[in-house]
Amino acid sequence: MKKTLLLISCLFCLNSLLAATELDDLKSFTLKNGMTILVAEDHSIPNANMYLFWKVGSRNEYPGITGISHFFEHMMFNGAKKYGPKQFDRVMEANGGANNAYTTENTTVYTDWFPSDSMEIMFELEADRIQHLAIDQKMLDSERGVVTSERSTGLENSNFRMIWEEVKGSAFRAHPYSWSVIGHQSDIDNWSLQDLKDYHRTYYAPNNAFVVIAGDVTLKEVKRLANKYFAPIPAQQPPRKVHTVEPEQKGERRVYVQKPSATSANIMFAYHVPETQHEDYYPLAMLTTILGDGNSSRLSRALVDEQQLATSAFTYLPESFDPNLFYIYAVAAKDISSDTLEKGIISEVNKIITEGISQKELDKVKNKAQVDFYRTLATINGKANTLGSYELYFGSYAEMFNATNKMAAVTVEDIQRVAKTYLRRANRTVGVLDAKADVLEGDL
Amino acid sequence: MKSLTHIIFSILIILFIGSTSVNAAFKIPKYETYTLENGLQVYLMQQSEVPMVNVSLVVKSGAMHDGKLFGLANLTGEALQFGSGKLSKTEIEDQLAFLGAEINSNTSTEMSFLNISFMTKDTDIIFPLFSDIALKPSFDETEFSKFKKRFLAQLEQRKESPRGIIGDAFARLYFGEHPYGNPVSGNDKTVSKIALSDVKSFYKNYYTPKNSALIVVGDFNKKSWIKSIEKQFSQWQGDAPKEKLMPLNSSPNQSNVLLINKGDAIETTFLIGGKGISANHPDAVAVQVINTILGGRFTSWLNDELRVNSGLTYGARSNFNSYQYGGNFTISTFTKTASTFEALDLATKTYMRIWEKGIDQETLSSAKAYVKGRFPPRYETSGQLASLLARMWSLSLDDSYINSFETNVDSLDIEKANEIARRLFPKDNLQYVLVGKADDIRENAKTYGKLKEVEIKD
Repeated sequence: MKKTLLLISCLFCLNSLLAATELDDLKSFTLKNGMTILVAEDHSIPNANMYLFWKVGSRNEYPGITGISHFFEHMMFNGAKKYGPKQFDRVMEANGGANNAYTTENTTVYTDWFPSDSMEIMFELEADRIQHLAIDQKMLDSERGVVTSERSTGLENSNFRMIWEEVKGSAFRAHPYSWSVIGHQSDIDNWSLQDLKDYHRTYYAPNNAFVVIAGDVTLKEVKRLANKYFAPIPAQQPPRKVHTVEPEQKGERRVYVQKPSATSANIMFAYHVPETQHEDYYPLAMLTTILGDGNSSRLSRALVDEQQLATSAFTYLPESFDPNLFYIYAVAAKDISSDTLEKGIISEVNKIITEGISQKELDKVKNKAQVDFYRTLATINGKANTLGSYELYFGSYAEMFNATNKMAAVTVEDIQRVAKTYLRRANRTVGVLDAKADVLEGDL
Repeated sequence: MKSLTHIIFSILIILFIGSTSVNAAFKIPKYETYTLENGLQVYLMQQSEVPMVNVSLVVKSGAMHDGKLFGLANLTGEALQFGSGKLSKTEIEDQLAFLGAEINSNTSTEMSFLNISFMTKDTDIIFPLFSDIALKPSFDETEFSKFKKRFLAQLEQRKESPRGIIGDAFARLYFGEHPYGNPVSGNDKTVSKIALSDVKSFYKNYYTPKNSALIVVGDFNKKSWIKSIEKQFSQWQGDAPKEKLMPLNSSPNQSNVLLINKGDAIETTFLIGGKGISANHPDAVAVQVINTILGGRFTSWLNDELRVNSGLTYGARSNFNSYQYGGNFTISTFTKTASTFEALDLATKTYMRIWEKGIDQETLSSAKAYVKGRFPPRYETSGQLASLLARMWSLSLDDSYINSFETNVDSLDIEKANEIARRLFPKDNLQYVLVGKADDIRENAKTYGKLKEVEIKD
C-alpha cells in the first residue's frame, strides 16, 4: 500500500516526502503500566515481527554478576507459568514463528518473527514470560553450559572478541562498560537463582520496555492484543540509576594478548567519547565512516591499498547510553609488525586532526547515510530494529527520520574538531593480539 | 545472543525452502524475462518499496570450474573490480562510494555473481559503470599482485578459526577429487600459482552472454531499462563453455576421520556427514521439512539434545549443501575439549532416531508450519529476489518452485516423511571432521573410523 505513495512522492522531493509519509505511517500508544508500543504497518509480505527492547544490559551489572543480563536473555526462553520449559520455542515454531534475542552493554532485545495471522499467540507467549517467568534450578544449570560454550566459541573463533575484552577492561576502570557483555567466566559459574529472580523483577517491568511491531498487521488489532495481554502486567519501581562516571583518562593505556594460533598481529584502538545523545555524536559517527567504512575510507586506502600494512581495517562506534569508546581495528599484513601497523594508524588519525577532511568526503558520508536509510526501510526487521534503537538511544523513534538532516548540518570543521578533541594519545587504549609471548630483551 | 541461527558454519543454506504463509499463498512477484540476440538472459522484476535498484550479473562459473587452480573463479570475480574502461580501481571505488552504491563479487561452487545496489536516481551514472566493470575489466597487473598478496595472508588468517576452515575440509573429505570439493577461496598453494593470464583466460571462457543472466530488481522504469540493457550488453560476444562434469564418486565405503590439530584450541568443532541430494531433487522440499526437524531450527532434535537438555554447546544443527548434480549433508556443532566425545556420541545417537524411532505427527505438523511461516521473509528484498531469479535460471526452475511450495509442504504426510527420511539421509559410513587439540582427542577419535591427522596451519 505504501508503494504507490512512495512512487508519487519520488516525483517531487524524495527525502522529505518519503520521510514524512513514513513517519506518518507509524503509530504508537502507551499502556497504563507504562509500556509503549509502536506499530509500523507494512503489507509487502504476509509476515510481521515483534521487537521488545528492554532498558537493561551489562551496564546494569556489578562485579559478581557480570554477564547476568545476557544470561537472563537466555533464561527468558526457559519456562513461565502457562508455557513451561521448552514451550515458548515449541509453540512459537509450531505456529510458523521463529525468534532470537541479543544483549548489548545497554539493552536486551527480544525478536519474534511470525506469519501475521499468528500474532495473538506471540502476545500470549511474551506476556506469560514477562509476568510469570519461572526459573528452575535444572534449566539454570544446563544454561550455564550453553553460555559457557557461547563464550568459548567466541574466544576460539574471533581475535576481535579476545582483544576487545582486554581493551574494555583497561579503558574502563570504574564504569560497568569495563567487562564484556558475556561476563567473566567465574560469574557465569556462580550466580544464584535468587540473583536471577531479582534481576527479572527489577528490569523486566513493562515501564522499562519499548515494543515495536512491524509488518502485515493493523494498529487496531495490535491495540486489542496489547490491551488483552500486556496491559494487565503490573508496573514496577523504576530501576536504580547507573550513576558511575568513568574518571578522565590521563595517559595512554596498553594491553597485550598472546594467542599462539594468530598468524599476524591484530590491533585495537579505543578512544573515550561521549554518549549517543551528546551533540558530538553525529560528527563522530561520520568520522567513523570517513576513517574506516569501505575500500574508499582513509584507513583502507592508506593501510590496506597503498602501504599494504594491513589486510583489513575498520572503525566501530557503538550507540550508547553513557560515554563509551570509538574503536579502530586492523589486522596486520604478513610480516608486518604491530608497531609498524600502529604507527600507520596513528599517522592517518593525525592527518585528519592536522589537515581536516575534504567537502567531498563529507558529502560521501551524507549520501551514504541517505542510501542506508532506504536499505533499512527495505525489510520489516530493519525497520523494527532501527526504530527501537532510535527510541532508546536517541530518545525518540522519530529521530530515525531526522538523522540525515542532522548529518546535513555537520561541517568539515566539526569533523576535524571532534577528531582533535577525542582521538588523542592520552585518551586511548591500545590492544595488541599476537602469537609471540610478551617478552622484551632484558625481561624474563 | 540466544542463538547463532543461520550463520553457524558460513557454508550453509544456499537453499531455498519455505512456502507461503498460513493464510495467503505467497507467490513469486511478477517479472519479465527475455533473451538478447547474443544469448544473454535478462530478468526484470519491479519492486518499488524503496527507491533503489539491485542489478546482478550471474555467470555459471564457480569453484567447480577451477581445474587445479583452486580459487581461480573467485579471484576472477574479484579481479573485475581492479579497473575497467577508463577508470582505475580506486576511481571506481570512489565514484560508487560517493553515491552510496554497494558492489560485491560473490563466488560459490557453481556460480559467480557481480551485484550492485544503488539509488534509482543514480541509474544513468551507475549502470554504465557496472557494465564496464562486468564487460571491460582492465585486469590491472599491479592491483592483481596487491590483491593476491593480501588474499594469501587472509587465507592464512582464516586458519585461526576452526569455523573458517571446517566446511572446506569436509567438502574435500566427502567429495574427494570431484570438483564439488574444490574450496571456493582456494588455498595458499593454489592461489600462489594463479597468474593474471589464468584469470584473463578464465574470464574469456566463462564470462560470456550465453553463460550468463542479467537480473534487475527494484524501483525502475522498465522501458528505459530495456533500452539501456540493449545498449550496454548487446555487443557482448562469446559462446557457452563446453564442459563435462566428472561423474560423482559413489559415497565413501568406510568411515573416515579427519582430525585437524589446533594446538591452542579450547573447544572441539566438528562435522559429521555423508551423502546429500541434488538441488532439484524431486523430494527436496520434503527433505527440507525433515531437516528442520532434525537440525534446522531451535527446537530441532539436535539443538534440543545437545544444547537445551545437556548444555554441551551453544548450538547444533544439520544442513544439506545441494548442487545441480549432487550434494552432501552435515551435522555441525562444537563443545569444550573435555566433552568432545560426549557431544559426538549424543549427536550420532540423536541422528539415529530417524531410523530407530522416526518422526511423529505433531513434530511434522509443527515443522510444516515453520517452513511455511519462514518462507516469505526469504524473498523480501530486491537482493533476495535477485538471488532467487538467479537460482531459478541456473537450475531451470519455473515459478512453481515458489508457487507450489506450500502445496508440496502440505502434501507431506507422516508415512512419506519417514520413508523419505530413512531413504535420503545418509546412515552408514559417516564421515567426520574434528578441529581441536589433537593430543587430547586423538586416541578416542580413532574409534570412529580411519584417522588422518593434519595441522590447521597446513
